[in-house]
Amino acid sequence: MGKSYLLPHRFKKFGWVLLILGMIMGTAMRFFEIDADYFGRIPFFSVVSERNILTHEKHFFEIVENGFLDELVAILIIIGGILVGFCKTKVEDEFISQIRLSSLVWSVYVNYGILFLAVLFVFDMSFFDVMIFNMFTVLLFFIVRFHAQLYKSNRF
Amino acid sequence: MKNTIKVQRAIKDVTQAQLADIIGVSRQTISAIEKNKYVPSTVLALKLARYFEVQIEAVFELTEED
Repeated sequence: MGKSYLLPHRFKKFGWVLLILGMIMGTAMRFFEIDADYFGRIPFFSVVSERNILTHEKHFFEIVENGFLDELVAILIIIGGILVGFCKTKVEDEFISQIRLSSLVWSVYVNYGILFLAVLFVFDMSFFDVMIFNMFTVLLFFIVRFHAQLYKSNRF
Repeated sequence: MKNTIKVQRAIKDVTQAQLADIIGVSRQTISAIEKNKYVPSTVLALKLARYFEVQIEAVFELTEED
């Protein structure tokens, strides 16, 4: 048996908490148009930042003040999503691993299918929105598909 | 591939969940194998045969499609 690269089951519940919190916060930010610096700005170490869209002037390796709400939401969704998606199930056996793999393949197809259509049919700032969602959708599609398949196999 | 796990389970008088526990897999896996939705690995097939105390061919049998 090769390495599974999966995480211990005990982190899964914690992952759900982070993921749901991140998704609620992210949805609220969009829905109520809450700004990233709603709770203030804090210093970040920036590897690269482009301040001026017109001149493409880039700044490297410096401390920048930045509203942290969007970073917080993204980190919650990423860590939560990884934990929920890749913590072992209670009994992670070969059948579950097969469901996991096929769900992952399915979600990559669906994710890039949607992106493919978006590339062709969505433009300008709307495409920027697509890219924001696309950062997380492959993980979210996988989580939904995997758990739906698990639920289905639990019923027969 | 078809299998006689349901029959073998009845002989041993164990539920899917009990068998899953003994073998160390999830109940879904036993159920999926019984319903011919999943073909187990050689290791799992051998473990099942060993538990039922029969030759592996008594549990699993190739069909026309295989």
